[in-house]
Amino acid sequence: MSSVDAAAEAPRRPFTGRRVRFGDLVLQLVAGAAALATTVLVGLIIWKVIDGARLSLSKYGLGFVTRIAWNPVPGHELYGAASFLFGTAVTSFSALLLATPLAIGIALFLTELAPRPLQAPVTALVETLAAIPSVVIGLWGILVLGPALRDHVEPTLHSVLGFIPLFGPKGAGPSVFTAIVVLTIMILPIVASISRELFLGVPHELKEGALALGTTRWEMVRGVMFPYARGGIAAALILGFGRAIGEAIAVTQVIGGGVFIHWNLFGTGDTLGAKIAASYQGASTNLQASSLIYLGLILLVFSLIVNLAAQWVVRRSARKHGIVRGGRA
Amino acid sequence: MPKLGSLIRISAVVAAAALLAVAVVGTAGASRASHNGTTITGAGSSFVSPLVAQWVAGIGAAYGYELQYSPIGSGGGIAAITGRTVDFGASDAPLTSDQFNACNGCLQIPWALGATAIMFNEPSVPNLLHMDGPTLASIFMGQIKTWNDPAIKKLNPKVSLPSTAITVAHRSDNSGTTYNLTDYLSHVSPAWQAQFGTAVAVNWPVGVGAKGSSGVAGVVASTQGAIGYADVAFALKNHLKYFAMKNASGFFTTPGSRGILAAASSDQKPDANNALSIVNPPKKYPVAYPISTFTYVIVPQQTAKAADLRKFLFWAVTKGQAGQYTAALRFVPIPKSVLVVAEKTIAKIHS
Repeated sequence: MSSVDAAAEAPRRPFTGRRVRFGDLVLQLVAGAAALATTVLVGLIIWKVIDGARLSLSKYGLGFVTRIAWNPVPGHELYGAASFLFGTAVTSFSALLLATPLAIGIALFLTELAPRPLQAPVTALVETLAAIPSVVIGLWGILVLGPALRDHVEPTLHSVLGFIPLFGPKGAGPSVFTAIVVLTIMILPIVASISRELFLGVPHELKEGALALGTTRWEMVRGVMFPYARGGIAAALILGFGRAIGEAIAVTQVIGGGVFIHWNLFGTGDTLGAKIAASYQGASTNLQASSLIYLGLILLVFSLIVNLAAQWVVRRSARKHGIVRGGRA
Repeated sequence: MPKLGSLIRISAVVAAAALLAVAVVGTAGASRASHNGTTITGAGSSFVSPLVAQWVAGIGAAYGYELQYSPIGSGGGIAAITGRTVDFGASDAPLTSDQFNACNGCLQIPWALGATAIMFNEPSVPNLLHMDGPTLASIFMGQIKTWNDPAIKKLNPKVSLPSTAITVAHRSDNSGTTYNLTDYLSHVSPAWQAQFGTAVAVNWPVGVGAKGSSGVAGVVASTQGAIGYADVAFALKNHLKYFAMKNASGFFTTPGSRGILAAASSDQKPDANNALSIVNPPKKYPVAYPISTFTYVIVPQQTAKAADLRKFLFWAVTKGQAGQYTAALRFVPIPKSVLVVAEKTIAKIHS
């Protein structure tokens, strides 16, 4: 895209001599170095992770990924990743499911519906939510959110929707459900503020045109704003999803742990990131430390797959709807 | 691109603030370091940290040392001394052989003595409810699920027990307290030993995991029917009830200084790495509290600070055990036989 711009602008730009060329060179070097540094860094991380996981990789191979086990007691050692992979998938997808309508609702409210004096303060509050450290949200999760969900929300959901295995009998406070709500709170501000920016970027002529044709406000939102912002919102969701997959500390604090796969959201569980955060310091054997790094490797691969899949979906939907990606950026 | 200017301005402000912060911290550190001749740094066990905090003034008065300790947990302490980023590490669980190898010439010295309390939250039953090892093992294995289980009733015939469900709360991180508890459960229950064993973290069959003693206390305090574990001082500080544990001679004992000291005198033969196990002491110690533990300091055998470290550790295992430091925190002075071993090991530190 930038090359297209440059080509288009080139004839108009007057020849200004060496100084501009020198500036261009510096820009190219700095930007190129930054991009290269990132690539090298990711490469080094991947290499280091594979290197650290080598002991576990050679002992367990790919069977590690599908085994449900985590016994760190010297002499009884056996490790597997399946339950953590399951927990990561359940918590991050559910959090995304809860956060998406909420975040888009907030963004629509802030751009289209909120009275003007309310817009700035609410926007600032939503962005403040993103700045709260995860350990603080986790602490609040243990002391306030967990008990509140356990005593008020879980029994209600169980009595109304109890026939669905997801809503089993209430647990002890720390649960997969608590973790999902905590993650939802954490990704909400990311998706909401990006969506807000996107909605603000929808050209006034389009919106006014739609309204002039007699559409209701909802029809305008659905017919003009959503298609315009679709690609961007999808990118925001991918960003939020990445945060949910990788979040470790807050989840460790509220999910309760346990090496099993079950469908009751009110029971405890564990995720890849949470397990690594809880167990890496002071791992009692080399095999355990290596297996934890193996979990990290799986986390890397998992988020890579999810990201690529999401990008593919976005590109396909953009093509289908005839929207030029980045047309307005 | 009109925003570029403001972006640069913001970056400059942030950078200036960061520089200022570094400068402030730097000068503060420098002034502290110059205040005393030598600084001894340590990290690890949160269990022992209140005691080390008490020592700061004492060791300062005795030798003018500045003692800095970070209570980052036993696991973190082992990692820190393995990387030699501190002068000593502290752990409540003895090092495993893998950890010893990684630590590359480390010495392990017992330097404090304490106990683990089994805390609970059930308003309708009194503090110091009776409990024995096999019943506790059944609870932690998930076989006993309610408070009015016949096994608990049999231990407390005069107490009316509620039908509340039991929620087990355990540590999700690697913890010396978990080591102490599972060591005890392995001693009193063959089934526990066979299925779960002794370690800083085990494959818990039931219950809710929480990070740190504070996390476990949080779950116990907010969940009716919960049973969890932490060091005694922690249970007292949080006003949680705890069990009186039945020992091998059939008495119900509490984690007080008498019970801990009696337990400590039971194992007088540390292994080659100075590890001691004093859980479930035999019958001839009738007042012993059965879930007591030594906690260890880990130091490199060869270090540039050898002379200072030797002085500090000698002080810690002798004068540092005095009642003025230990009593209020429910630590107990280490017994003579262990002191001899500790002093012998300390003497091996050289530069």
